[in-house]
Amino acid sequence: MTPAEQLKQNSVTLASNAQHQDGLAAHRGEALDKLRLLPFPEKKQEAWKYTGLNALTAGQLERVAPALSADADIASSIPSLGDCLIVVGNGVLTGQLPAPNGLSITPLSADSINDASPDTFFGWLNTASLSHGLLLKTEPNVKVAGIVHLVFFNQAQTPCHATNRLQIELAEGSELTVIEHYIGSGPILTNALTHIQAGANSRLTHYRLQSESADSLHIGNLQIDQQRDSRVDSSQLMRGNVLRRNDVHVRMLESGADLAMRGVFIARDKSHIDNHINVEHVAPHCHSDQVYKGIAGENGRAVFNGRIHIHQYAKGSDAGLSNNNMLLSNEAEIDSKPELEIYNDDVKCAHGTTIGQMDAGQLFYLRSRGIDAASAKRMLGTGFVNETLHAMQDEAVREWATQWLGEAL
Amino acid sequence: MSTEAEIDKLVRREYAAGFTTSVESETLPPGLDESVIRHISSRKGEPEWLLQWRLDAYQKWLKMTPPEWAHIHHPPIDFNEVSYFSAPKSMADRPQSLDEVDPELLRTYEKLGIPLHEQAALAGVAVDAVFDSVSIGTTFRGKLKEAGVIFCSISEAVHEYPELIKEYLGSVVPQGDNFYAALNSAVFSDGSFVYIPKGVKCPMELSTYFRINEAKTGQFERTLIVADEGSQVSYLEGCTAPMRDENQLHAAVVELVARKDAKIKYSTVQNWYPGDEEGRGGIYNFVTKRGVAHENAHISWTQVETGSAITWKYPSVVLRGDNSVGEFYSVALTRGRQQADTGTKMIHMGKNTKSTIISKGISAGRSENTYRGLVRISPRAEGARNFTQCDSLLIGDQCGAHTFPYIESRNPSATLEHEATTSKVSDDQLFLCRQRGIDTEKAVSMIVNGFCKEVFRELPMEFAVEAGKLLEVSLEGSVG
Repeated sequence: MTPAEQLKQNSVTLASNAQHQDGLAAHRGEALDKLRLLPFPEKKQEAWKYTGLNALTAGQLERVAPALSADADIASSIPSLGDCLIVVGNGVLTGQLPAPNGLSITPLSADSINDASPDTFFGWLNTASLSHGLLLKTEPNVKVAGIVHLVFFNQAQTPCHATNRLQIELAEGSELTVIEHYIGSGPILTNALTHIQAGANSRLTHYRLQSESADSLHIGNLQIDQQRDSRVDSSQLMRGNVLRRNDVHVRMLESGADLAMRGVFIARDKSHIDNHINVEHVAPHCHSDQVYKGIAGENGRAVFNGRIHIHQYAKGSDAGLSNNNMLLSNEAEIDSKPELEIYNDDVKCAHGTTIGQMDAGQLFYLRSRGIDAASAKRMLGTGFVNETLHAMQDEAVREWATQWLGEAL
Repeated sequence: MSTEAEIDKLVRREYAAGFTTSVESETLPPGLDESVIRHISSRKGEPEWLLQWRLDAYQKWLKMTPPEWAHIHHPPIDFNEVSYFSAPKSMADRPQSLDEVDPELLRTYEKLGIPLHEQAALAGVAVDAVFDSVSIGTTFRGKLKEAGVIFCSISEAVHEYPELIKEYLGSVVPQGDNFYAALNSAVFSDGSFVYIPKGVKCPMELSTYFRINEAKTGQFERTLIVADEGSQVSYLEGCTAPMRDENQLHAAVVELVARKDAKIKYSTVQNWYPGDEEGRGGIYNFVTKRGVAHENAHISWTQVETGSAITWKYPSVVLRGDNSVGEFYSVALTRGRQQADTGTKMIHMGKNTKSTIISKGISAGRSENTYRGLVRISPRAEGARNFTQCDSLLIGDQCGAHTFPYIESRNPSATLEHEATTSKVSDDQLFLCRQRGIDTEKAVSMIVNGFCKEVFRELPMEFAVEAGKLLEVSLEGSVG
């Protein structure tokens, strides 16, 4: 058995063990069947060309994360960012679910689950091993006040697997701001899957903050479906760790949808980070704009793959993608692959990628004014990604992000 | 005439080089095994080492599978349906000079606008003409010899300059490099060999013209260009084939070696038969082209791709020496049901290496046009620099234009830029031209020419004219 086959076997074991009797059993069973048919991701697959899964161990795929001990001090590690806090520890909801006006927050049930998993191995593994999920559903034409802060806290001492599942449904004309926040530590693999459905004319402000410690692993799927005239504004902040992989898949299914997506990814100290973004313009007259900034230092490796796919009948599409990267050391590596796949002539599409370094002239300027090398580099690094932070709409998140960036650099 | 009608007229315009030449040919029966390779080798009277080299390649090829990653779709190719060698009979006893060549063959090249007779040749372009599997003649050899330049068919070179062939053949594209390169290494029939000695600037443009004539044959030519220290050469390549209903295979390998301070400029105008409107017939063009640039060397690829049912081609430069330069300029045009997956690879290994990639893709009809490129900066490549620009122009709502660039950097002092845009022929630009009394056809031609200008100006003059004409045939007025 090759290592990949072994890891697949481990994943199937995890999923099979999850087949206890509850409302989601049927969904898990179907997903397990799918999982058995899929090959385990390997470098020879185009989508995993730059990311090997050698870092994964059997336990991270096989063992369900144990429940957090009652005395685990979660609260102190959670910054105050929102008005309505929900904490999920090692895949299980802790505390009571709040009930803000215009928004229902409930456990995911067999009737409400969106089981159209992203067609990836870890997407199906998520469904196949799912026991607790959360559903956020807005009422039509209501603007939900404040920010909903969802914290996924995953921590363990030994290798294990935590399944996080979130489903956000915006009804017609509603508005919502959500923070998806991943923290934790230890050799735990977070398998996160988030489904977002933006109904007609709805507005979603979405933050995905990933700041688990450097020794943990994270494989995440984010699937966004946009209906007519909906607007999604998504900001993603990511730090590399042993293994971090994010698959973001946006489908603009009806005309007039608008997407603004930005991200900052930083890989340092032997860490790895891989972003795979796929934006599909299925319907005509949609607009998407993406800005991603990457920094790799020390032995870090950052991967970016941004695909824009314009379908045949998506006339009047306007899509842009910019990916700027900064390489800070001789051992670091950045691999970028922006892709355009276009099947209609009435479109405006562009992408741009750069890979460069800190400008020696700028560094010299700062040094000549008495700023030490480390601070100068931090200032330039901050300046490099500031554009994305400034675009964040909420003050509290922006402040947290600035601090996060300072630490990351 | 309405624009619609103009489109129809132009899109239906026939492939001008689609005639066949009736010469008696000796063609091997379809199929591939060791005996075919032995036959090709013995027919050419090759030395034992080369036969062994071919057989090694064949063994490697047997273990390989056709690449599937490209954005192209075709039914699986039955490699046993292809005939691997075809030569005009009159070439059996090789003519000593062009005067002895079958006039029918010479007429073919004249029809294609490639005069082989030296007195008729345009301002000093030496031509090597390859007809199916063999080279039928090389012009201006005497004059080139005076300068010390070797320009002949690769089969002759094997006999006359065995040490050079032994040293360089497969040094850039090894036998097992990829599926089609391995196939080519096993069965390659002819092609051109160029050697420019130290410090010599080649006195004229060199050119090879490839022509597939025989039905059900594949063409597997191999070109090897070696520019020794401080030398310079400009090389042109053109191709055509008759119109046939079946798909024909063309799997070539081109190897360039630019030693210290040398400069090679390689230009291609590829106009293989693209198949008819419904996608019947046409050439499957699977080509491996690669150059190695040593210290301070300069390799430049320029290509205008208008033909072939399928194009799979990535002229690359390995920038091995410090301060070496690689360039890639490409115009790829697809229409009807053509599919092109083409681009380049720039592998930066030396310090202060520079590469520039300018790619222009134009797709019309129901065609698919893909740019696929790789820029790789190795940890050693201090101060490497790359600039890439890929623009696509779409004409009609049933075609596709795609961009798949791979950018890999492992050195912090390297600077890489990539940008790509996709658009259609702008209504505003068209309107502006129409308003000034320029008809749609002419206006589109102007706009497309402007779109491709950066690439055309890199072409040698004779080719720029041919390229412009080719685009006119395929493009003008095809915008509604």
